[in-house]
Amino acid sequence: MTLFYDIQSLFQRALTKLSRNPTLLFVHLFTPLLFLILFSQLLQKLGIFLGPTGSYLAYLTPGILVLNLVIGMPSGQSIVSDLDSGFLQKVLLTPASRSAILLGRLMSDLLVLMAQSAIIIGVAMLLGLRIATGVGGLLLIFVTFAFFGLAWFGLSLALGLKTKNSETLSAVSNILALPLMFISSGLFPTSIMPLWARTVSDYNPLSYVANVTRGLVEGGLTWSTFASAYAVIGLIAIVTFGATLYLFRKVVS
Amino acid sequence: MEPSEIISVENLVEVYADGTRALEGISFNVKKGEFFGFLGPNGAGKSTTIKILTTLLKKTSGHVQVAGYDLEKSPKEIRKVIGVLTQETIIDVDLTGKENLRLQGRLQQMHGSALEKRVDELLKTVQLEEFANKPAGRYSGGMKKRLDLASALIHKPKLLFLDEPTTGLDPQARASIWDYLDELNREEGITIFLTTQYLEEADKLCRRLSIIDHGKIVAGGSPTELKQAIGHDTITLSLKNPKDSLLRSETKRILQEIPGVMDVTDSDGGIAAHAKNADEIIADVVTALDRNNIRPTSLNMSSPTLDDVFLHHTGRRIRPEELGRKPTEQILM
Repeated sequence: MTLFYDIQSLFQRALTKLSRNPTLLFVHLFTPLLFLILFSQLLQKLGIFLGPTGSYLAYLTPGILVLNLVIGMPSGQSIVSDLDSGFLQKVLLTPASRSAILLGRLMSDLLVLMAQSAIIIGVAMLLGLRIATGVGGLLLIFVTFAFFGLAWFGLSLALGLKTKNSETLSAVSNILALPLMFISSGLFPTSIMPLWARTVSDYNPLSYVANVTRGLVEGGLTWSTFASAYAVIGLIAIVTFGATLYLFRKVVS
Repeated sequence: MEPSEIISVENLVEVYADGTRALEGISFNVKKGEFFGFLGPNGAGKSTTIKILTTLLKKTSGHVQVAGYDLEKSPKEIRKVIGVLTQETIIDVDLTGKENLRLQGRLQQMHGSALEKRVDELLKTVQLEEFANKPAGRYSGGMKKRLDLASALIHKPKLLFLDEPTTGLDPQARASIWDYLDELNREEGITIFLTTQYLEEADKLCRRLSIIDHGKIVAGGSPTELKQAIGHDTITLSLKNPKDSLLRSETKRILQEIPGVMDVTDSDGGIAAHAKNADEIIADVVTALDRNNIRPTSLNMSSPTLDDVFLHHTGRRIRPEELGRKPTEQILM
C-alpha cells in the first residue's frame, strides 16, 4: 500500500538525517543521565520515605524515563525545520500520502525514544536497579513509553505547526516540561512535598506515567494504576492528535 | 479544454484571507510541448498562479484544468504528472545527492531498479555523478539548483513548472540551467511553464509569453510579436562634430530618403532613424552615407526589448538595472 511505502520512505529519511548528526542523540541524553546518576547517589537517603524496603533508584528511574521523553520536542522541531526549508512543500507537491508526513516522523522519533530509554534503563541497572517484573515487565515499560511518546510527540507536532518557529517551540517545551516534571511523582517522593504540590502531582499526567512504570519496575502494579495511566495517555493523545490534524490540514490546503 | 492544451485557465480569481486580491480573473492557456513564459514584477501574482496550478493553494473562483484533470477533483492525478522547481532551492542538505533523488522518486511512487536507473541517469544529466555520494549541503548554489531540477524530473513529468528558477544564480550557473531547460523542451517534448523577472531569460527560452501585473494579464504573444506590437527598430549614428548643424540636417535628409525609414529624429547628440526592420536597411544606410561622404563615428542598431514591451504595458521597468535599450549589433567605423 502506498501509505506504508510513503511512511517507510520518510522514516528512512529521518533515520539517515539522524545518522549524519549522531551527537544530537547524546546531547539530548546528557541531562536525563546526569539527573539519574547524581540524584540516585546524592539523594540515596530519600529511600527512607519509600517504606522499609524502598530504593530511591527504583523510584527515580521511571521519572528519568519520563523526563527524557518530555524535555525534547523532536517531532515539532523537525516539522518546523521542514516548513522553513520548504521540504514539506516539496513533499506536498508529490502524490505521497499526507498522513505519511506525520506518521513517518513519529515512527522515527519513537525509535529514537526507545533507544534512549534502553540506554537509561541500562545505566540504571549498572547502578544496581533490578526490574521486579522481569522481561515481560520491561517490554510493557517500552509499550507504555511508545504510547506516551506518541501522545507527547503529537503535542510537539501541534505546537510546531502552531508556532512555526523553533525557538518558540524550545521555550514552550522548557516552560512546560520542567515544572511539570518537578511537581509530579516522577523525581521525588510526594510524601516529602507540601500539600499543594502533592495535589498538583496527583492530577499531573506525568505522575500517571511515572506511577505505572514504577509499578512495573518495583512490582505490585495494580489494575487501577494501569488503567488510569492508559486513560490519561489516551486522553492526551486524542487532544494532541486532534490539534495536530487540524493544524496540519491548514498547512496542507 | 481542447486536446492540445495542457493548461487551461478561465477567469481565475484568488482572494487571500486578509482580503488581498492576488489574481483578478486571469485567463490563459498553454499548449502541449510549449515553452510558456509568465512574466511580471514581484508581487504581480506569478507565484500565486503557480501555487494554484500545482495544487498547493485553493483558488477562490474560476475554472482550471491541468493535464486534463480538474484541480479540485483530482489533485493527486495532477501531482503525478507535474514536476515543480520552486524559487527557493529545496533539497535535504543532510542527505547526499543520490539520496535526495531516491527519496523524491519514492515519494513519486517509483520503485526498485527502475528508480535506481533513473537516479543514475539524472545525476549524469545534471553533471553531479562525481558528487552523488556527498552530502548536498556541501554543494555550491548552482549544484544545489541542478540537484533540485533533477528531483523535479525524476518521474518524467509531462509538465514542468519553474518558478524563477535562476534567481540568485551566477551568470554561468544560469546559462547552464537555460541549456538544460531548452534541451528538455526540445528533445523530450516536456511542456514548460516558467515564471521569471529576467526578461533576457524569457526572451531566450519562451515561445509564448503572458505578462501579468497587479493580478491581471496585460499582454500575451510570442516575444517577437510582443516587441513588434509596441514599436520598431532604431538605427543611431554619431557624427564627428555634433554641433555642425549643416552636416546634421544634411544627414537627416539623406536618411529620410532611404526606402524603409519611417522617421528620423535627434537622439543624445546623434541621429536616430526608425524602421520596421533595421537589419533590412542597414546596408542602404551605410551606402547612402558613404556616397555623400558622410563618415559617422559610430553606428548602432537596436530593436525593442521585452523590457520596452514591459514598460509599455505596465508603465514601469521590471528591474532598474536593465534600464535602456540593448544594442543588438554594433558597427564601428
